[in-house]
Amino acid sequence: MIKIKSRKEYFELSRARRRIVLILMLGMFLVLFAQAIKLAAFEKDKLQKESRQRQHRALDLFPYRGKILDRNGSLLAESTPVYSIMADAAIVNFKDTDPIVQAELNEQKKQLANLLKLSTKDLNKNLKDRNKRNIPLRKNISPDTKIKIMALKISGISSNKIYKRFYPENGPVAHVVGFTGSDGVGQEGIEMLMNKKLAGEKGKIINRIDKNRRVVGEVQQIKLPKDGEDIRLTIDLRLQNAAYNALRKAVEKHEAISGSAVLLDAKTGEVLAMTNYPSFNPNGYNKVGDFIKNRAVTDVFEPGSTMKPISLAAALERKVVTIDTIIDTGKGEYRYEGKLIHDTHAHGEIAVKDVIKVSSNIGSAKISEKVSSNNLAAMYRKFGYGIKTGINFPGEVSGSVRKHTKWKKIDHSRASYGYGMNSTLIQTAQAYTVFANEGKLKPISLIKKDDLKISKKVLSSKTTKDMLLMLESVTDADGGTAPKAKVYGYRVAGKTGTTRKYINGEYAKDKYIGTFVGLGPVSNPRFVMAIMIDEPLVEKGYSGGTLAGPVFSRVMSKAFEWYSIEADGLELKDTQNKKEAYADKTKL
Amino acid sequence: MKLNLILFFVLIVCALTTVNFTHLTRNSFAELDKESKKTLDLKDQQTMLRIEESSESRIEIIEKKAKQKLDMYIPSRKEKKVIIR
Repeated sequence: MIKIKSRKEYFELSRARRRIVLILMLGMFLVLFAQAIKLAAFEKDKLQKESRQRQHRALDLFPYRGKILDRNGSLLAESTPVYSIMADAAIVNFKDTDPIVQAELNEQKKQLANLLKLSTKDLNKNLKDRNKRNIPLRKNISPDTKIKIMALKISGISSNKIYKRFYPENGPVAHVVGFTGSDGVGQEGIEMLMNKKLAGEKGKIINRIDKNRRVVGEVQQIKLPKDGEDIRLTIDLRLQNAAYNALRKAVEKHEAISGSAVLLDAKTGEVLAMTNYPSFNPNGYNKVGDFIKNRAVTDVFEPGSTMKPISLAAALERKVVTIDTIIDTGKGEYRYEGKLIHDTHAHGEIAVKDVIKVSSNIGSAKISEKVSSNNLAAMYRKFGYGIKTGINFPGEVSGSVRKHTKWKKIDHSRASYGYGMNSTLIQTAQAYTVFANEGKLKPISLIKKDDLKISKKVLSSKTTKDMLLMLESVTDADGGTAPKAKVYGYRVAGKTGTTRKYINGEYAKDKYIGTFVGLGPVSNPRFVMAIMIDEPLVEKGYSGGTLAGPVFSRVMSKAFEWYSIEADGLELKDTQNKKEAYADKTKL
Repeated sequence: MKLNLILFFVLIVCALTTVNFTHLTRNSFAELDKESKKTLDLKDQQTMLRIEESSESRIEIIEKKAKQKLDMYIPSRKEKKVIIR
């Protein structure tokens, strides 16, 4: 018989159960409460971030990289849209049972392969694996070609747009402009130097998205991208191309290893042209080869005879000689401190002013003996040797002038004609701005700015005038070392340099560097140009005048013409009618 | 009861307004997106035109066209006449 519990008994039992249930419930609430506190207090930030990420999507907005322009606004570098053509192998189908449709598909495939510059065999190979959904068929396709490809309307073929740096001028300006890497960051030249300004700032947009991660609108936050700034260089593209072409001609004619040229505006110190040959194609930066450096600023060489005018200027400034002082250069050989100093020809007794014209090492050494090492070295530094030009070009070196206290007597003599020291081509060009600017050294620049440039007085006006006339005699057909540098209708001045290359601790016998630094027109110098040709074939001529003189002449004639420089080398044929002139002063 | 009805009516209005504004915002966003794409395309076109202009304005091209179309040529030294001011 079942015993029926009394009401009291029932509740007594129930109370025990109730307690258990109560404790369990309390325990559960405690756990929930603890979890709530944990989430609210300790994981609040993390959870809120996750929530935002699920509801919002942040997109980077990329800025346009700035353009690089020449002084006249011609384009040197620009970011252009290019396309990658992609294929979804699971969708692309060039097969059909109907022979008419099959013929059409074959034609379509042929056209696609042609536009992609692939053979149909290679195209088939690419599309063979049907599991591949995103096959890149070709990168860097032009917008025109992309339009033609998309017009074929082949299902499974799509395009992706990316921006690529394009350098329309290619080789002549490659060393100056440089290039960017595949990540769009400047790797060389101006692209590297001005990367921050050119790159701009990324923007950001945050969109609200649905559960399928589709953008449903409502821009939550926005930061507009800041496009990169355009950089205007001081380079004149016309002169840059003229310099490059003249340089190429000279390097090829003399079978030299390479050549460099720098053209400066003597009045402002702006670099109008700076080029090297051989050059490279910046549009294919993975194939730049060995000639990637801007050798005009990164490579040093012994300046040789181009130093003679500076040594002589030091002597004239110290008033230890005058331009008419006679120097005995003997029979072309001079033994000094146990070492032999040579001239290419015996000049005998010559005036100081002819030392530059015939480029006498002995004359230069004898004149410099009258100047103390301290003064000579100080003059070289005043002309900018051993100091960076301030152009701030990546990889620029300062060259070196040894401390005069470490000079032996022979070092003093050798320094006077440019041995035992080194400089870059751009330093050499800058040094000659002194002769073009009434004795003032011009600070040089490559980026167009309107800021004030302060020149440094280095020589007196009298010495500069004397030096200019001496430098003009170098281009004389009658005994000068650079008659080939002459420019029709204009008076030009300059100095040649021919130095032996210093390789593995000694001077190579048949390896030379030929240089010419010139300026013009002499009556009011506007341009300074320095040219260097490295290791020409000796049989084809190796002197600075032969190698670099014609380059100077070609480029200067263009510069005078394009900048409408008044001709100062014309001689009036008809003295009665002073309105017309036809011939130049000295026939070429 | 009266208050409840008013609140119900306000609720309906608010709900409709929300739907309407969401719709308008989406439309505006789609338009903005379209215009942004158009801006980008125009920028690209401008870039291509600038490149074309730079290649067409090269001195060699100008000289070539002047020679071909206008029968112009660079005068020789003998033909040059310098006027002295």
